[in-house]
Amino acid sequence: MTAAVEMLGIRKVFPGVVANDNVDLSVEEGEIHALIGENGAGKSTLMNVLFGLHHPEAGAIKIRGNEVHIRKNADAIALGIGMVHQKFKLVPSFTVAENITLGSEPRHRGVFTDRKAVHDSVMEISQRFGLQISPDARIQDLPVGVQQRVEILKALYRQADILILDEPTAVLTPKETRDLFGVIRSLVANGKTVIFITHKLREVMEISDRVTAMRDGKVVGVTKTSETNPTQLARMMVGRDVLLRVTKTPAQPKDVVLQVRDLQVFDDRNLKAVRGVSFDVRAGEIVGVAGVEGNGQRELVEAIVGLRPAWGGEIKVKAKNLTTLNVRQRREVGVSCVPEDRYVRGVALPASIEDNLIVSNYFKPPIAQGPLLKPDVIARHAQEMIETFDVRTPSKDVPAYALSGGNLQKVVLARELSAQPDLFIAAQPTRGLDIGSIEFVHRQIVNARDRGAAVLLVSAELEEIMSLSDRIVVLYEGKIMGTIEGARATEEGLGLWMAGITEATPEVAGSPEVARQLVAH
Amino acid sequence: MDFSGLLDILQRYVFNIANLQGMLRLATPVVLAGLCALITSRAGILNIAGEGMILFGAWFGVAGSYFFRSAWMGLLAAMLSGLVVGGLFALFSLKFRAHIIIMGIAINIFANSATIFLTREVFGVAGAFSDPNIAGLPPIEIPILKDIPVLGPLLSGYTFIVYLAWILVALTYIFLYRTPWGLHLRAVGENPQAAETLGINVQRVRFGAVMASGVFASLAGVYLSLGHLQMFTEQMAAGRGFIGMAVNTFGGGEPVGVFFSSLLFGIVETIGWRLQGERIMPVYFISMLPYLATLLALTVFTLRKQQAKKAALERAAHEA
Ligand SMILES: Nc1ncnc2c1ncn2[C@@H]1O[C@H](COP(=O)(O)OP(=O)(O)OP(=O)(O)O)[C@@H](O)[C@H]1O
Ligand SMILES: [Mg+2]
Repeated sequence: MTAAVEMLGIRKVFPGVVANDNVDLSVEEGEIHALIGENGAGKSTLMNVLFGLHHPEAGAIKIRGNEVHIRKNADAIALGIGMVHQKFKLVPSFTVAENITLGSEPRHRGVFTDRKAVHDSVMEISQRFGLQISPDARIQDLPVGVQQRVEILKALYRQADILILDEPTAVLTPKETRDLFGVIRSLVANGKTVIFITHKLREVMEISDRVTAMRDGKVVGVTKTSETNPTQLARMMVGRDVLLRVTKTPAQPKDVVLQVRDLQVFDDRNLKAVRGVSFDVRAGEIVGVAGVEGNGQRELVEAIVGLRPAWGGEIKVKAKNLTTLNVRQRREVGVSCVPEDRYVRGVALPASIEDNLIVSNYFKPPIAQGPLLKPDVIARHAQEMIETFDVRTPSKDVPAYALSGGNLQKVVLARELSAQPDLFIAAQPTRGLDIGSIEFVHRQIVNARDRGAAVLLVSAELEEIMSLSDRIVVLYEGKIMGTIEGARATEEGLGLWMAGITEATPEVAGSPEVARQLVAH
Repeated sequence: MDFSGLLDILQRYVFNIANLQGMLRLATPVVLAGLCALITSRAGILNIAGEGMILFGAWFGVAGSYFFRSAWMGLLAAMLSGLVVGGLFALFSLKFRAHIIIMGIAINIFANSATIFLTREVFGVAGAFSDPNIAGLPPIEIPILKDIPVLGPLLSGYTFIVYLAWILVALTYIFLYRTPWGLHLRAVGENPQAAETLGINVQRVRFGAVMASGVFASLAGVYLSLGHLQMFTEQMAAGRGFIGMAVNTFGGGEPVGVFFSSLLFGIVETIGWRLQGERIMPVYFISMLPYLATLLALTVFTLRKQQAKKAALERAAHEA
């Protein structure tokens, strides 16, 4: 059996970093090959080399046994390689069919786009692989799960038979992930080969045939999935034992810090996203907000921190009404937040780590004295934060964009937690992070609670919600479906609430089988 | 209120054949300047060099026509200048990565002084150059149509470039929405990375867009210098390159939108000319009118959009 892809001795250097160091990767024809590794291990870089977006300093690539020279993206496409990137590359105002055929669209008399053929060929290909899609829908109106399907179809339309998926599940809901796995299985049944990057070991165990693990730009292990387990994989990736579950003592809730009453908030499309939500968070407890993404979580958080107006209702922190205060005033009251999109709202990408660490308090002592900043204090502050939060960086002066996702998140956490907030909000705090970083972030959240902060944790990951929260509220279509103590919640039960099914209470959701079926619908 | 008076004013200043003809004539360079802005903005390029490109087009139009005694040669010379200036602009801003705004300003300033210099050196005059040897573009009478009352005088008898502008509006539409290249251009404008990973050469598409914008602008210029009076005047672009950008915004980046927004500009300018004849307002104030109208239109347009959004919010609040 020949390997579909063989990469030999690949070396890729970025200024100051060896992203790939003598990397070998071998992927068999027709297999699902998982590629795992910490943030910054060099997975995306390796795949970008294969897809012709980066040029390696050394190394060779063989496709189906033949040595090839991939100089540009188009070469890789011609060799039947397709890639779905971490960040989608779609044109929002174009239709599904236009996006799929863009760049190689059927023509009519040589000069015109043959719009019927565009439509038909997309229909044909979506049927052949069982990926349902409406060709005339506009990308901007579609949920991420469907957008991802468009990306996959884009590759299939170009006759890809080696498909690279770079962290495809990071943005998906559990249901969308299940659908994606179905699609992947049917692709493999159709003779395709899939390379699958993920941080979720559960997914590796579920879908892959073999696993390659990377650390610091090198391959540290290749194994058959059937011969390994999550603990072993974690150790291989991180180089030490990792706690896959958080340890914490029972909560000691004290006074109410956050009080939300009948809150109403609109989303960007002017639809009501939060419809009359009321809950409390006490000092010393973690309240988890569970729910499928897009059920009002984002708007809820933005309304509390002051990025979005509340249309109705009340938000109080320590009995102080927040609704008329601006963002800075709210922070002064004691609110701090790890925002959902760390690249957009968490940090200023071109600014240095040092600067990013002071953007919330640059205007007051000890950072500033009157109108002037104090560089020595700022430098010391940065150094201290980098050490305490174990940010892996060559220096405090590198721009934020040079950091891997996990390290970037540590910078955000450092800034937000160093303010010693009374209310600490963490929105999707571990999205896209590797297990080592997840462990770290989780420990910080529990520490904040133990220090006496009220913590509001918003996450689409049920596992995360269940392992951290002392109390869980489930949002469905902008309303609270139910509240339950963390210790008493079951995954099946929460799943029912997340699907909007009220009859069941989480701890008595009937047999797990029944629940699973219900959720699937 | 006396409506017959109002009607009389409307008829005198707006709804009569001569005024509508004036509107179509005066809108023509704006339509072309608008297309110049459109084709680049849809490719994701902020091209502010339209003004300078128009000026070059105007000058070379006159020069070509004067030296070859043929308006068509003038047209050709102008279009060539558009290609060259567009090409240089693209080369410096896209390939050598000069800042696109700075580059645009440079072209505008350069065009201004270069045409003044050339007028003095080549024709030996300052300010304006006109000469009986400069051939103008002849009016085109459209058979059959020209004999139909109202429509005939309204649609027949303009110079070639007026019709060309109309055709270009249609062609631009077809190009954008019916051809693969138009699709590529829009993709490059909206998400260049998406286009790139599909093997579309983003650089080449943008290069083409800038060259095309140069041709559109040069046609606007040639219309100014040969379309009516055969004459080159210093700074004769008179802000039309920028009005083109406004018209493009106002027209939502759509060819048909650009056309109709340009008509608005044209009618105001026509009224301006009329009022100048009446001597009821200072001339300087009157020549300000079209620009004022553009500013006003843009403001109203933006306000309306905001209001619509607010209304939608209000409605949603009621429903929920
Ligand atoms: N375009 C670039 N310029 C400079 N450095 C880069 C670039 N792309 C990646 N790097 C660096 O190369 C290293 C490997 O990055 P890469 O994106 O391949 O990691 P990854 O394994 O995909 O991580 P993640 O799980 O966070 O996606 C990192 O240190 C990163 O900072
Ligand atoms: Mg990556």
